[in-house]
Amino acid sequence: MRRGLFGWALPAYSALVYIFLYLPIAVIVLFAFDAKAIPGLPLQSLTMAWFKSSLSDSRLVGSLLTSLRLAVIAAILSTALAMPAAMVLAWRPMRMKSLVLCLVLGPVVLPQLVLGLALTILLRAAPDLIGQPAIVLAHTTMTSSYATLMLYSQFLGFRRSYIEAAMNLGADEFVTFRQIVLPLIWPAVVAVLLLAFTDAFGEFVVAWFMAGFTETLPIALWTSLRQFVSPKIYALSALVILVTLALSVSAQIWILGQTRRENQA
Amino acid sequence: MSGLRKAPHSNRRLTVLLPAAGLLPLLLWQLIFFLLPVGLMLGLSFWRTEKYRLIPSFTFDNYVTIFARPAIWRSLLLSVETAIFVTVACAILAYPLAYLIAKKAGRWRGLLLVAVIAPFWISIVMRVGAWRLLLGEHGLINQSLMALGLIHQPFSFLLYSPVSTIIGLVYAYLPLYVLPLYAAIRNIHDSWVQAAMDLNAGPVRTFVEVILPLSAPGLIVGAVFCFVFGLGEFVTPALLGGGKQLMFSQVIQDEFQRRLDWPSGAAMSVILLALVLATLALSMKWIRRASGETES
Repeated sequence: MRRGLFGWALPAYSALVYIFLYLPIAVIVLFAFDAKAIPGLPLQSLTMAWFKSSLSDSRLVGSLLTSLRLAVIAAILSTALAMPAAMVLAWRPMRMKSLVLCLVLGPVVLPQLVLGLALTILLRAAPDLIGQPAIVLAHTTMTSSYATLMLYSQFLGFRRSYIEAAMNLGADEFVTFRQIVLPLIWPAVVAVLLLAFTDAFGEFVVAWFMAGFTETLPIALWTSLRQFVSPKIYALSALVILVTLALSVSAQIWILGQTRRENQA
Repeated sequence: MSGLRKAPHSNRRLTVLLPAAGLLPLLLWQLIFFLLPVGLMLGLSFWRTEKYRLIPSFTFDNYVTIFARPAIWRSLLLSVETAIFVTVACAILAYPLAYLIAKKAGRWRGLLLVAVIAPFWISIVMRVGAWRLLLGEHGLINQSLMALGLIHQPFSFLLYSPVSTIIGLVYAYLPLYVLPLYAAIRNIHDSWVQAAMDLNAGPVRTFVEVILPLSAPGLIVGAVFCFVFGLGEFVTPALLGGGKQLMFSQVIQDEFQRRLDWPSGAAMSVILLALVLATLALSMKWIRRASGETES
């Protein structure tokens, strides 16, 4: 009887939750094709015109390119900061490890608004940085924390015996790193790089405080959401959402596959 | 350890130097761009302003003034209530889903889990924009309900109200709740559940006395993150909340950017931060206790 009840109730409930999760995404993608200037039901005719006009809007495309560029820099910087730190935290015995982890966890739990305002106060000492450098600095602070925590948990599952075996066979630290460690960890590092990029690309609040006259895509969207929203916005959002989903899904599947292989090994 | 025998000196130096070199860049970065700004903010909260100019001093006036303004109390209360409500709603939505993925999904497990988390990576501004399409007076939900003949007037409380803020926040943080729950439920051995059933416990009793206590760490970790993030979230209430009833984060932003009273805004930020830290400190104990129970 329990089987009968749970048999359909649990999947049905879960399906509803999945609908809740994907309904807004579906709606944006749907309305990107709506021919009417003010989106709404019923959909009468579909068009690709909004995609064309969004990609020929120089302000929107400019903000998209700015976001892409700044997110690439922030992702590389934060992965470069996070990877060695996560290796040390996961593989080396050290004192005050929990203190270091707390410091790293800090930017994750700090409300983004507070981080944005605190950095605004800091940058009064260096007003020249306001704009693109400040956005990169702020995003790197946030994403390097996430990246360190994600890599740390990945590296914990890594078998130290591989390193020890290599060292026992006479390899020094550098050879071990290049020939044993790097080939094993690079999928996780690439995945974290992608996730850091996605995170920095979409972040709004802190970038908004750091921006000055710089306009990233989330800032451009915020501005347009406060006024009349043209369907071009939905068209561009739909494109970005599909790319974001593809990036994050592949990164996560990569991490999952890596974890499974490690567990089976 | 033949490597150690070959070059004992350089190797010992490396074992000290390498960890330091690995950690130092990140630590320096976080000191300069995280600890220092937060420290500055704490310091600034004791300053005062005179005709929009910052005057260094050490006064508790900002804190006293905050607690004397009922509007600020109301917004703080609204933020806490909203965060609690969002946390409970997320738990109710997330638990069955996490259970399904952890125990019933078979080979679809990885895909279903990734599908839950994927929307989390979409820019928050876009997700909130999508909810405006759904919730507005001419939005999809109202239009569908009216087309079906269920209502004749559009629901106006759906958008620009605390209701829409709550919907937006639940949407934003549901994935964050599923992850720790999934991990906790996944760790429950089927044999423990089987043992309870063999000892004649019904499904309800098995759930309440075995599954629920064993998944408590996941429930608490998820709740803490949901609550902490919901408390300080700014974009969702700013775009969905309508501006009649302000959340605490909106009052802080207003204080900084419109009233230009940085010390007072800094003091409010410190209060928000103190709430977050208190929640974390309080729950650390619970998390440790909860996980201690499962290990013994």
